[in-house]
Amino acid sequence: MWLMICSEQDPSALWAYHGLQARGLRPFQLVTAEMLAQDAKWEHSVGVNGAYINITLADGRVINNRMVRGVVNRLTHVPLQHFAGASDYEYAVQEYTALFMSWLNVLPRPIFNTVNAQGLAGAWRHVSEWVWLAAKAGLPTPVYSQTSHDEIDESVELRRIVPEGTRTTMAITVGDRVFGPFLPQSVRTGCCELARISQTPMLGVELAYSQETNSWLFAGATPMPDLRLGGEPLLDVLAVKLFHREGGDQS
Amino acid sequence: MILLCGIPTESPLALVSKALDKHDVPYVLLNQRKFSIMKAQLEISGGRASGKLQMNGDSYQLDDFSAVFSRLMDYRFLPEIKDTPEDSPDRQLGRNLFDTLTRWAEITPARVVNRMAPMGSNFSKPFQAQLIRRYGFEVPETLITNDPELVREFKARHGRVIYKSISGVRSIVQTLTDEDMTRLDNIRWCPTQFQAFVEGTNVRVHTVGQKVFATAISTEATDYRYAHRQSGDYAELREVQLSDELSEMCVNLTEGLGLAFAGIDLKVTPENHVYCFEVNPSPAFSYYESSTGQPISEAVAGYLAGN
Repeated sequence: MWLMICSEQDPSALWAYHGLQARGLRPFQLVTAEMLAQDAKWEHSVGVNGAYINITLADGRVINNRMVRGVVNRLTHVPLQHFAGASDYEYAVQEYTALFMSWLNVLPRPIFNTVNAQGLAGAWRHVSEWVWLAAKAGLPTPVYSQTSHDEIDESVELRRIVPEGTRTTMAITVGDRVFGPFLPQSVRTGCCELARISQTPMLGVELAYSQETNSWLFAGATPMPDLRLGGEPLLDVLAVKLFHREGGDQS
Repeated sequence: MILLCGIPTESPLALVSKALDKHDVPYVLLNQRKFSIMKAQLEISGGRASGKLQMNGDSYQLDDFSAVFSRLMDYRFLPEIKDTPEDSPDRQLGRNLFDTLTRWAEITPARVVNRMAPMGSNFSKPFQAQLIRRYGFEVPETLITNDPELVREFKARHGRVIYKSISGVRSIVQTLTDEDMTRLDNIRWCPTQFQAFVEGTNVRVHTVGQKVFATAISTEATDYRYAHRQSGDYAELREVQLSDELSEMCVNLTEGLGLAFAGIDLKVTPENHVYCFEVNPSPAFSYYESSTGQPISEAVAGYLAGN
């Protein structure tokens, strides 16, 4: 089976799920974070013979790593609102998140994107690190500045690297392919290189275009792009890669 | 120049500072509690990070730091911040200083002990166990479940079983007792981690670059860190030598996880099987150094100095 693991609040993932299913990936199971966090029966083992996961969902479906052929993973967190207010709520969040880190790591490749020590669906990097990596990948980048006296609270507000109001567009990599806006070859190559060095095969790369200079500038990146921006061509390629077990994180 | 960050009186930081003093290695000590009179500035241009750190009336170029030893604590728990309102200027300053230094440390080419990103594997013990296996160590048989029946089967199969948190929170190892078995239904609301108890000798290994320091711990307690609480006696620590092969495995594991310095928890069975339980990326090594006299802080200082 193939899996789409996402939040039920992720319309882009639900769109991709239906599109991939229509391309013949069957059985293709939709497993939402909400299903996993409520009334699921968990059996996860690690030991001398490796790691194993067997999850029985409330609707009776069973997710077993030995049955999985490929995964689109869009989990960002474990929704435990039903525990909110409980005295051990914070502890439960930590425990569930640690469990999710581990069981997602058991899933066989290809996975777009696999769990990482910095995030459930690929590393959540600070924009400063993305800028640094983007430059290493050969993308044109703006100068990034940050000081201890900036008036920004990043726990509630994302730090931007292009001026407020700048029009940007999103390119999406799937392995060695780039989807979205028409881009010069050098920028496409840079996007793929950024996906490679960040170990994020499905990567959204935000770019700003300057008509004055006819040039593109890196504006941000995310392991959780809106897949709809890649359109049907993205799904065509993703379906092939999942079916033929190509690409994704092969580590 | 070396940058030490944290609370100067915290034992590991104080020991490394003392070791640097002993060898006349120049360093700058950033006292996190004095965040309100410091200023940090980071700039990234063309893939190169630079910036400035101002404190105690001095100004340092971030480029000039060839190594960093970071024991920065969560700014929210600093005495100067913990009771302040969410929107207080002090809180914002403490947070932004922490954040700016951390962002720089993640990408600087300097030697950093340790960067934040690779420390993340320690957040989930079973996740880290899967990584540990790749480096040739055995890991204990582990079950994470919210099904009491599976726990009963696991206990029947393994005999003595322990339980502990999956994350790093409330991380105290306890033996699963008959009394615990009567309240197993409590796990239905949150999956819990159970592990087959491994008989043998606890060994804490500190790796610093290529250097290895091993300490054997003797105790009757399930979790030697809480030996007095669990058994009434304090744990006994003594220096031991590892085989070359095992030393190399520890170094490879540390490097493989992206760390420069680690505290590795091993258990060596009477049959000489080596189980690895955990790799701590921010080890409080002072407990082991003061108990055994092992020169761990000297090794950290040497590593920072580029030796």
